[in-house]
Amino acid sequence: MYSKRIQDALKRKNIEIGDFVRIEKAKTVYEGILMPRIELGDTSCLVVKLSNGYNTGIKFEAGVRIEKIKKGLGMEHKHKKKIKKIIFDKKLPSISIIGTGGTIASKVDYRTGGVYASFSPEDITMQIPELKEITNIKAEEVMNVMSEDITPETWIRIAKEVTQDVKAGYKGVIITHGTDTLHYTAAALSFMLRDLPCPVALVGAQRSSDRGSSDTVMNIACAANFVAHSDVAEVCTVLHGTMEDDYCLAIRGAKVRKMHTSRRDAFRPVNEQPIAKIHWKNRRIEILNKNYRKRSNLKLKVDTKLDPKVALIKCYPGLNPEIFDFYLNKKYKGFVVEATGLGHTPTLGKHSLLPKIERAIKLRKPVVITSQCLYGRTHPTIYHNLRELSKRGAIFAEDMLPEVALVKLMWVLGHTKNLERVRKMMLTNYAGEINPRIGTKDFLV
Amino acid sequence: MDYKKIGLKCGLEIHRQLDTEHKLFCNCSTKMLEKTPLTIVKRKQHPVASELGKVDVAVQYEFLRDRTFHYQVFSEEDCLVESDEEPIHALDQEALDIALQIALLLNCRIPEELHIMRKTVIDGSNTSAFQRTLIVGLDGYIEYNEKKVEITHVALEEDAASIVEEDEKNRTYKLNRLGVPLVEIGTGLLIGYTPEEVEEIAYLIGMTCRSTGKVKRGIGTVRQDVNVSIKNGPRVEIKGIQELGLISKVIQLEVQRQMSIPKVKKEVRAANPDGTTKFTRPLPGAARMYPETDVPPIPISKKTVRMVKKDLPESWIKKLKRLKKKLKLSDELAKQIIRSEYLELFEKIVKKYKVNPSVAANVFVSILKDLKKRENIQVENLEDKDFEELFGLLKERKLMKEAIPDILKYKVKYPEQPMIVGVKKLGLQVISNEELMRIVKEIIQKNKGMPEGKIIGLIMSQVRGRVKSENVVRIVKRLLKS
Repeated sequence: MYSKRIQDALKRKNIEIGDFVRIEKAKTVYEGILMPRIELGDTSCLVVKLSNGYNTGIKFEAGVRIEKIKKGLGMEHKHKKKIKKIIFDKKLPSISIIGTGGTIASKVDYRTGGVYASFSPEDITMQIPELKEITNIKAEEVMNVMSEDITPETWIRIAKEVTQDVKAGYKGVIITHGTDTLHYTAAALSFMLRDLPCPVALVGAQRSSDRGSSDTVMNIACAANFVAHSDVAEVCTVLHGTMEDDYCLAIRGAKVRKMHTSRRDAFRPVNEQPIAKIHWKNRRIEILNKNYRKRSNLKLKVDTKLDPKVALIKCYPGLNPEIFDFYLNKKYKGFVVEATGLGHTPTLGKHSLLPKIERAIKLRKPVVITSQCLYGRTHPTIYHNLRELSKRGAIFAEDMLPEVALVKLMWVLGHTKNLERVRKMMLTNYAGEINPRIGTKDFLV
Repeated sequence: MDYKKIGLKCGLEIHRQLDTEHKLFCNCSTKMLEKTPLTIVKRKQHPVASELGKVDVAVQYEFLRDRTFHYQVFSEEDCLVESDEEPIHALDQEALDIALQIALLLNCRIPEELHIMRKTVIDGSNTSAFQRTLIVGLDGYIEYNEKKVEITHVALEEDAASIVEEDEKNRTYKLNRLGVPLVEIGTGLLIGYTPEEVEEIAYLIGMTCRSTGKVKRGIGTVRQDVNVSIKNGPRVEIKGIQELGLISKVIQLEVQRQMSIPKVKKEVRAANPDGTTKFTRPLPGAARMYPETDVPPIPISKKTVRMVKKDLPESWIKKLKRLKKKLKLSDELAKQIIRSEYLELFEKIVKKYKVNPSVAANVFVSILKDLKKRENIQVENLEDKDFEELFGLLKERKLMKEAIPDILKYKVKYPEQPMIVGVKKLGLQVISNEELMRIVKEIIQKNKGMPEGKIIGLIMSQVRGRVKSENVVRIVKRLLKS
């Protein structure tokens, strides 16, 4: 967005972004297309695309003259009529792709430098032509939310969309989603979609789809293959397994975490093996972990009861325990503590969390203990201080990831506030979020 | 051939790698020395639809469909940025400073805000599928024969990965060149010049880059593209001329080619090392560029421009004058060393070791060439530090200038050995004046009555390369007289 001064000047001269303009400044003449101002940088600088394709910035100061030479074709991308569903081959299964944000298909307008995202099945198949050989698709963007702006309410909306499509008979569902909080949504859907009869894959991309190197293409192709043709009736994430474009991993939604800010293979299973390896080019689906629910004729029940007033508190040296009072005063209903090691929290003097945890539990607010190690299981009794915690009624969440425990506690509290029932539900394995047998190879997978 | 008559029109685009510590958008080294890759990453690329139409995409798709790109990753010279696994960092300040110097030396106007662009590439030479480039100078010129030759732009770009091998379905690239900063300098249309003059203009532009002292030298660090057309004919773009001296030949051959075929096509051709060219692809449309949004545009204040202007390096014209006046080089030698790839090293050595500038210049412009040409010695394997070692020995009088060719040959053969070891092994230790006197006396004694010339010859055969030959003559003359 340009500064107010520039906007006013453009308005007076009836110049719009995209017009071919001539700018004169101190005897220098620039001619080119007036570009929109990207959000970064100096808003009092005009940006012009020169005839050689480069953009250049011209500081808008006294003495700068701008004139329109030719009306532009406009920067707005004309949306084609949306076709929601494409049948390539009646013999192929049909799947649904639900867009929640991010893009699969992009178009670059080199004339203006604009990048336009598209979610039409037509554009998706233009970008990923092999889909035609894999499945028929229905595609719809139901919302456009950045990953970091996803909330528990969003999970509920997504769960309902998936339910509709599963009930409509689609063989599987792909949800495209920004990557930052993809694993939270994956966990939420894992708990909300009860008796899931078919695969649901959450897919993101670490490189945007306007790049020829985008990971979207392989991720979507593998996910389409997975939800259309595998017998894994689980909520999974499907993204790159390595830095290479060779296969994706289907990882259980309640056991997955984003472990890297930027790599394609950022999503890793924690404390278990991935469910499947989906080879891209030969389309082989290789099962790596037999512990999964198979496709069935069960009727999907969507259970979106949720209480989002749960706090996640990370322990660190010097943590002020009064943070619990803040949340209690704000009427929070439960706590997940990201404790250290096997599940320790500070126990000494003014830093001790024990009195606060005791207070919370007395107020009938559950306190769930997870580990910031992420890998491995918590333990309620090996050491004295662990026993002090469990004695006071803290729930040790086995090997559950802190984020998964957070989502699960919201979901559990949507069903009951009774402490004993909460404990029972937290320790019930609903979606494979607890691995009772962590294997030797389940570390840094 | 009368090039004016046939209406020769050329355009130059000169690419030169910058010798910075870090790559353009990350903290990796630009040395490109590593030989063994740490790992190989296999990738595919796909076409991105553009408003330019579906056909275009179909063509790209056909090309990319069955191709796998194998990227060799090096441990010190690549990080996640090169593998396209991490967003770019901020633009390297050192590279920007050098590029601005070059732009100003070429009399360009510096834009007030620099915008980094993504230029789409589909041959896999960039892991991101686009090359980042930014214009740092516009509308400049250089003077040539008292005329102004237009410089349309100076751009700062990231270099592409270098190809190692390819077959129908695979291409292997080395990632350590990816991201090395380079400047691209474009000229306006050169009309009314002969191929030799076009080459001379390229040379002048190259000299201007080199006067910053911060451009890389050696094979692969310079790449020149030239557009060639003749009257009423289409433009043919010839890419990748690695040697400056080939430009005129490439143009001559291209003119001949265009004149010998009935229908010339607009196309891109690649230069072979012998000056001939081969077809690569039809001439693409306008550059496919869109803005890089991962890092903000860079404002260039008037103050920054003033500061760069103040610290501009000596232009090569001034340098030529200085070499002649201060270092007392002959006109020819000065011109030769200024063209030499070793110019920077020469200046450093003269300053550091206080050796006779003519002797040093002679090593770089003549001795090395002779060794290569006459005896096919791999002088290109000699590193800067080897020359420092050489001139160190000269300075300490442990070696005579006459012994330079022999000791350089020895160093090429035994690069691991200190040069002084070679001096001893080859018996090239400097002979003191007393010792020389003793030898001369002895030989005169043994060969009484022999003419002066023969005596000098006998002595020289014993002491060649270990004394100054004028000393031998002087001493013989003096002794014979007495």
